[in-house]
Amino acid sequence: MQLTLSNLLPVYFEKNRTQTSEVWGKEIVWQKEELIKIVAPSGSGKSSLINFLYGMRKDFDGVIRYNQQDIRSMNPEQLAPLRKDHVSIVFQDLRLFPHQTVAENLEIKRQLNPFHSPEKVREMTERLGIGNKMDSLARTCSYGEQQRVAIIRALLQPFDFLLLDEPFSHLDDRNSQNAMQLILEESKVRKACVILADLERIEFFPYTRLFHL
Amino acid sequence: MQTGTNAASRWFSYIGLGVGVLLLLCSIQMFINIQQLLKEGSIRKNGFDYISITKSVTNETMGQPEKNLFSQAELDELKAQPFIEDVSPLLPNDFRVKLSAGSVLAFSTDMFLETLDNDFIDTLPPSFTWQEGQYNIPIILSSDFFEIYNVFAPGQGLPQISRETAMGIPVQIICEGNGLTETFTGKIVAFSDRVNSVLVPKNFLLWSNKTFGKGAEVQASRVFVKTKDANNTELLKFVDRKNYKLNKDKTLLGRNKMVIQGIFSGLGIFGLLVVLLALMLFSFYLQLVIARSKDSLQLLLTLGYSPAWLSRNVARIFVPIYIAVVLAALIITQLMQWSFHHFVMYDRPELTSIVSWVVGAVALALILLSVVTNYRLVKSLLYGLYEK
Repeated sequence: MQLTLSNLLPVYFEKNRTQTSEVWGKEIVWQKEELIKIVAPSGSGKSSLINFLYGMRKDFDGVIRYNQQDIRSMNPEQLAPLRKDHVSIVFQDLRLFPHQTVAENLEIKRQLNPFHSPEKVREMTERLGIGNKMDSLARTCSYGEQQRVAIIRALLQPFDFLLLDEPFSHLDDRNSQNAMQLILEESKVRKACVILADLERIEFFPYTRLFHL
Repeated sequence: MQTGTNAASRWFSYIGLGVGVLLLLCSIQMFINIQQLLKEGSIRKNGFDYISITKSVTNETMGQPEKNLFSQAELDELKAQPFIEDVSPLLPNDFRVKLSAGSVLAFSTDMFLETLDNDFIDTLPPSFTWQEGQYNIPIILSSDFFEIYNVFAPGQGLPQISRETAMGIPVQIICEGNGLTETFTGKIVAFSDRVNSVLVPKNFLLWSNKTFGKGAEVQASRVFVKTKDANNTELLKFVDRKNYKLNKDKTLLGRNKMVIQGIFSGLGIFGLLVVLLALMLFSFYLQLVIARSKDSLQLLLTLGYSPAWLSRNVARIFVPIYIAVVLAALIITQLMQWSFHHFVMYDRPELTSIVSWVVGAVALALILLSVVTNYRLVKSLLYGLYEK
């Protein structure tokens, strides 16, 4: 599968933005197995981009295509399988079910399209240091713990593209690197393309292409 | 998955729906009961009412047969009225008649015989015919008379008998007059609720009047009229004007029946309103549940759950509940019908202990209605959520 951006620009951005951006207003093709780093300072439209790519918002000019299909033309019934089978995401605001436990939060995602067994899930939580939090309600976990839950959740489905919006903002270096390892392993298995959008910082992401938003 | 909902308010809505359904089903069933109960008692045959008219016997007219009998002219006048379809006088016998149960029962009495046009008889069996020379005479007996017998029989040391038995007992009809005495065998072939008389075939009566009686044309003191509507005001006014008397029972029955039907129609409409209200309440409740779960549902959609699947699963939770509620109401209705039939109506044959098929059909329709409403509501809400 390939992801094509054609002349993409949020409707609320001025046209002159396209001159300074390496993403807005450009023709870009992303293929599987690429590792894309998008450097996006505040206000550059990072979350907007992620939302556009995931089909959450349609207030943009230009075209986004997954293979030949224009995402704008997809109705809710068509978006569901796209998200279930091809595109996974870690939101900046996480979006867990606050009143469900960590285990339940993960299972809700896993059962939709089981890529891993429940045992593997447990193993992943142990690996990221939240194994003991499985039965805690999501809202009682610290933000860093919740963030790790969100990361693991994103890795429980098959995907061709993984969208990451500031996934390590509340993790210390060690946890960030552990998580990054896990992400890279899971992506390699699926031969997926990883798109990581963040402020300047992430040094340990071995990107193949770099874009300034 | 539907967390965050108040169990109490949920049960409240289910109960509300159930009560509404119950009320609707019960009133329909009651309405049907009333229809069936009153059908037998009513004398409607082919959509007409049959009423008997007599002349009022006052102090002045007492003892003056001409004043109390209907002349041919008066019969013609009746027939000519626009609200009267047909007229049949109840012709009496003109000679002495004795009825005896012979060897079977020690019962003997002076009797009268009457006849009426076949068309006017409510329970006319094919055996109600007679030919000259026939010694067997079919009799149609008034139900009221029969019941009077059963009332005074014990006091006379006589046995009470059932209708079937009565129809099996041959009676002797002894006709006397003009120096002749003849004994005929009579058998009750039917009971009439309409005609308060002992009826014999018309040709027999006319023949016996000629044979045993004065031979003159007999006049009737009672006349049956066939009319479209017993409560017709024109009819009532005419009857009052001519100083006739109507057999008022039928009209009263008709009026009662209308009142009761009206009450149950009112209840039925009320029940329908309650069901509508309950359905509305339920759909509001459903919207509330979905609104409260809106965030969860939205997140599920975001994670890749399909709206159609979610819609199906929300339905999968609620549809069994709808079915259970309606079935529960149906069962309660059935129980109530059985107890009503058994305790209040003493298992009268006009009613059944089982609820009518109409009630079952309505219950089914209600289930379908709630399923469809639920599906459409959920679908529109989910897709409404989706469009950001």
